[in-house]
Amino acid sequence: MVLRNRVFALALMFITTSVLAQDYVVTVHGIVCSFCAQGVIKKVSKLPFVDRSMYTNGVKVEIEDQKVIVAVRDDSVIDRLSLFAAIESGGYDPIDLWTVSATGELTTYPR
Amino acid sequence: MDGFCNGRAHHLPAVKWIFWAVLLCVSGLAFAHQPVMDMAPRWEGGFGIQARVEGFDSRTTTWLEGVYTFRPSTRITFKLPYVDNELGNVIVGVPLKKYTNRHAFTSNWSITPSVQFPTADDGAWDVGLSVAYSAETPSFYQLYDLYAWDDRVGLDINLGIHPIHNNTTNSGVFVMWDVSLLASGDGDRVQSGPVFMFYWQNVMARLEYKALVYERDSDWTGGYVGFGIGAVF
Repeated sequence: MVLRNRVFALALMFITTSVLAQDYVVTVHGIVCSFCAQGVIKKVSKLPFVDRSMYTNGVKVEIEDQKVIVAVRDDSVIDRLSLFAAIESGGYDPIDLWTVSATGELTTYPR
Repeated sequence: MDGFCNGRAHHLPAVKWIFWAVLLCVSGLAFAHQPVMDMAPRWEGGFGIQARVEGFDSRTTTWLEGVYTFRPSTRITFKLPYVDNELGNVIVGVPLKKYTNRHAFTSNWSITPSVQFPTADDGAWDVGLSVAYSAETPSFYQLYDLYAWDDRVGLDINLGIHPIHNNTTNSGVFVMWDVSLLASGDGDRVQSGPVFMFYWQNVMARLEYKALVYERDSDWTGGYVGFGIGAVF
């Protein structure tokens, strides 16, 4: 009985984490150096919907693929306009916004 | 748009006031061309400060340098040299940049007018101009900087690779090769050698050595050694 409860609790924790942790990906032209892209982290992390407990203040830059990964709080909704404005203010050109599924697949975020 | 650009200077945090106070308070042996953190900060409201020590021809110069970015296209920089136990002439430059961003590529053209203020004991006013182009991919970096300053005309070339990078810790290394050509009233020279740039989050350090591979009409001798460390915010 105790073991079953523990398994159930672990499963629930896993499912909850999978559902609540919502990452978004922005493809960004020109973002090829993370030292130079700190402004993007700085600007995006100030947005109210960003989960600053993830990554580096809620943002991760992957320069190999020109991607900016943004963790969004489970009680918030992403604001595409302010996100793109923050990236532009950081010195780069945002192109597309994608949602990330639990399996890691990218889906275009509706404009 | 930030701070001084639109008259909202009173909104600047205290640390930026300190930066500007330093800039205003500390306002000829310097060159106009050397970028103050060419790579960063390229974000609105970003600023940085760095210290460099360079040795060449039996003389050591220490530089205190700073940069403030109003927006990616407009920065202001200052460079304060300290030579032979004396303060030199402070140089203030205004790099104006035009960026082009493409997939896996960024580049910029830069024009930098500079003014030298006579802050040294025997200081004098002077002006300089630099025209530069830099381009970068995730694995390659290049910079070409043509400058004119007083009786000096020069060209700096940096070509390098970005062999180590960690997205999670935002740290890595650039390895470059520098070629510096100078024609001046004191003589002409070509220097060349390796440059290593290390960065970790918002801190970067640069270590370089350039051999004097050619000189004419001068008494310059020996190699150039430079080390700098700075941070951007």
